[in-house]
Formats: sequence, structure tokens, C-alpha cells
Amino acid sequence: MLPMSTTSTSLTSPHRTDGRLNIHFYLSPTTPQTNLRVVEQTPPLRVVRGFNQPGGAAMAHLHNVSGGVLGGDALTVTATVGPGARAQLTTPGATRVYRHRSGRPDAVQTTCFTIEAGGLLEYLPDPLIPFAGSRYRQTTRIALADDAGLFWWEIIAPGRETRDELFAYEQLDMTVDITAGGRPIAIERLRLEPSARPVTSTVRLGPYRYFSTFYICRTGQPEAVWIDLEQELVALTPSASMGQATTWAVSTLPRDGLVVRGLGCTGRDLQTTLIELWQAAKHRLYNAPAILPRKLY
Amino acid sequence: MTQSHLNHLQLLQLADSALPIGSTAHSFGLETLVAAGRLTTPQLAGFFGDYIMEAGAVEALYGRLAYRAAALADERDFETRWLDLNARLSALKPARESRQASAMLGKRFLHLAGSLIEPSSPVLHLASASALRAGIDLHHATVFGVVGQVLGIDEELTVLAYLQQNLAGLISACQRLLPLGQRQAAQLSWQLKPALIAAAQVSQDGDLDGPAAYSCATLVDVAAMQHPGLPTRLFIS
Repeated sequence: MLPMSTTSTSLTSPHRTDGRLNIHFYLSPTTPQTNLRVVEQTPPLRVVRGFNQPGGAAMAHLHNVSGGVLGGDALTVTATVGPGARAQLTTPGATRVYRHRSGRPDAVQTTCFTIEAGGLLEYLPDPLIPFAGSRYRQTTRIALADDAGLFWWEIIAPGRETRDELFAYEQLDMTVDITAGGRPIAIERLRLEPSARPVTSTVRLGPYRYFSTFYICRTGQPEAVWIDLEQELVALTPSASMGQATTWAVSTLPRDGLVVRGLGCTGRDLQTTLIELWQAAKHRLYNAPAILPRKLY
Repeated sequence: MTQSHLNHLQLLQLADSALPIGSTAHSFGLETLVAAGRLTTPQLAGFFGDYIMEAGAVEALYGRLAYRAAALADERDFETRWLDLNARLSALKPARESRQASAMLGKRFLHLAGSLIEPSSPVLHLASASALRAGIDLHHATVFGVVGQVLGIDEELTVLAYLQQNLAGLISACQRLLPLGQRQAAQLSWQLKPALIAAAQVSQDGDLDGPAAYSCATLVDVAAMQHPGLPTRLFIS
């Protein structure tokens, strides 16, 4: 299951680095094992290899060999999960977004996932850390076919806390479009500009520093499944009310899934709870265990 | 009396917070914030100023785009755009209760406007029938925009009237949740009018990926998502 590897650097201008990664997960024709094929990869994006997981899924780490997202980077990750395939994608560590450099375009990362009929993608990246002075736009588009599944969380840090760097980034845009059968089921257009629009506003983040979103989807499941799962996950969250160090909320999407939001004063608490919610939801929707990626938590 | 005068009077009625569409039953998450002690009376002016620039501008954008869609000459073009706008707005609302509240208000507003406007409008009929066929909820902001176009009301006035009605409903909710007298409420509504204009202006480019489309109302969204779990509730959302 080793990936076909290509390496080349593409610089469209002295100020923009285009990195591309295109991978495909497909079900073996002879065994219930999902395999990984790397269609294209250009620096700084790279997948080293795929790992077999119990249950037949394939897991891969999305590497950025430059150590983070630099000002001017335009990174594009494309992944297709073929019919019936099961894939898990993670990162080897937090995604660091470096300071914006004058004269360079904003750093951009575009991620496009297509999950075909009966496929499942678990996309579990480590937190995103926007450094002081950074400008970053992240776009994620996910298309779900019939009976396709998705577990995807995102954790956004306020910056490098150990350096007392809280909300010192210039701008953070997060764009999300999830469709099921071509119809939108979740859209986000999030913009944080801490210096222009204080994040401590009760409208925005209030007293919380970290925020996370977790999408749990499976196309075609009846609404009652999502209402029941919403209640189950609410019962699992440590503080489904405000006024605590972390606060959680769960709600059904218009159809085919639900969204979990978590706000916290530290990132570690969020991650711990996300794993618990993932395990419960995976069991409920797939009657299968949620297997942690091969790295330390 | 000119047609323009008549249209303005109709707009005043449709934008009245007392319009019988059920808006007084919803707090859109404010009840959770108040219950948690996160929102108090002295904070209201700042809170609503931010709220209008975040959530308000997004609603203004969708209302404006629906207004423009209703002017499309081709019925099929309108139907496609109309359904897309409403489906997207549903997907933008993470809190089930707020999404359903917006859809309920939209449905009732459309029904009421359809029963008041004579002769009956083929655009309003198509707006309702196409959504029913497609199984897509219609939202208050988009329906308000279409009704504004059907009545021949100026686009900017329509968007501002919607924002005003939206704000009036939220302030009304706060009067039942917080020690907020009628005089204070009136002052609050009065002083926030420049914010309504600013939010409407941001949405003028009508770009679904432009500045008005991007917002951050994360804590309000979380509050709205948590609302079903409140032990005692005055509001449906």
C-alpha cells in the first residue's frame, strides 16, 4: 500500500508556493481492505505511506514538510474515498500558520474531499495555530454521495499561548461547504479579525479561547437517528451549558448529520471530549469502534 | 396618495414587530445567554451592535439576494436561485431551533403576505410552491426580500426594514428576559439604527462569498444550540 510518489516544486510567482496533494482511497477488489494511492504530491505537501487499520480502513498522515503554512502558500489537498472504502486522515501535529509577510498574498489552504457511495472518511487533524500577524484562509469542500459518512473535527487555537500570544493574528477565514447528494447540509463562512472585531464579544467567543467544530454525517439516515444521537452526545458532553471552562453544544443539521461545537479555555479539554463523542457516534452509526490514529494523544 | 405612499405604509405594517407571524416566541439563543449570566442589560447596546454586524449582515445579504432574484424575468431562473438561497441559508444555521424558527417565521410571513397582497402575486405563489415541491424551508429574511420586490419597495428600504424588524423582535425578547423597560428598549432600538444601516451597506455587493457573507457569531450559535437543554424556557428558540 505504498504510495506512488512524485516530487516537484511549483512556483507560480516568487511570492506564492503552490503545493498540491491528491490522494485516492479505494476498496481492494479481493479483500475488505481500503488502499491508498497517491495521485499527485508536490512540496510542501506529502503523504509518506498508508497504514492498515483494524476493520479494513486505511489511515494516512497529511504532512507539510515546511513545518507550517507560510505567508503566500497556496496549498490544495484533494482526496477521494471510493465506493465502500474507509479512510482516516490526520496530521502529524498542529498546523502552524506563520506570520504574514508584507507583499505576499494571504496563506490559503483548500481541501476538497469526495466521499463516494458507502464510503467513510474520518478527518481528524490536530489543532490549527495561527501565529501573531498571520493571515490565513482555509476552504474545505466535502461532497457526500449516498450512504457516505464523515467524521471531521477542527480545533482552532488562539495562537501560541506559551508566548502569551492570544488572538494576535490578523485575519482567519474558515469556509466550509458540505453537500449530501448535491444539496448543502452545512455551510460556514467564519471570519475572525481580532483587532477590528474583538473576539471577547459575547456574540463571538466571549471568554473562551479555543473553539472546535465536529461534523458527524451519514447520508440517508432518517431524522430520528440524528435526534437520538444529538441527545446521546449532549449527555456525554461535560458541560452542555454556559458558564464553565468548556461549553459544548450539539445540533442536528438540516439533514444527514449533526454538528458539535465546543468552546474552551484550553485545547486539551476539547480534544479529549471530541474523541469521546467520536467514539459514541461511530458506534451508533457504524457499530464499529473509533480507532485513534497512530500517534500520541 | 401615490403608489409609493401606499407601498411605504404596507412596508411599515409588514415590518411591525407585532405582525402576527409568531416572532415574539423566539429568542434565537438569547435566553440561553441570559440564563448563563453572559448577557445583562448594560451589555445590550454593545451586544446588539456586534450581533447586527455579524449575524444581521448575513441575513441582510440573503434578503437582498432574494429581493433581486424576484426581479428575474425567467421563472426558472427565479426558482433555481430562490431554492438555492434558502437551502444555503438553512445550511448556514447550525442551531436546529433557530433554523426552524427562521423557517416558521418565513412560512407564516409568506402566507400572510400572500393573503394581503392583491391581486395575488405569481412570484409569491411560485416561491411557495417550488419550495414545497423541493422540500426546502423558506426563511424569514429571504421571504421578506421577495415580498419587498413584489410590493415594489426600494431594495435598501426592504433590507433595512427586515433588519429593523429582526432587531425589534430580539429587543422584545430581552424585555421579557431582563430588567429592560419600554423607554430603555426604545432608546436601544433608536441608537442602533446606524448599525442597521452599516450592516445593510456591507451586504450591498450581493456576493455570497463577499464581506457580508463572513461573520463570527459563534457564542450566539452555541447558545442557540444549547437552548433545548435549558430547564426552564420562556421561548421556543
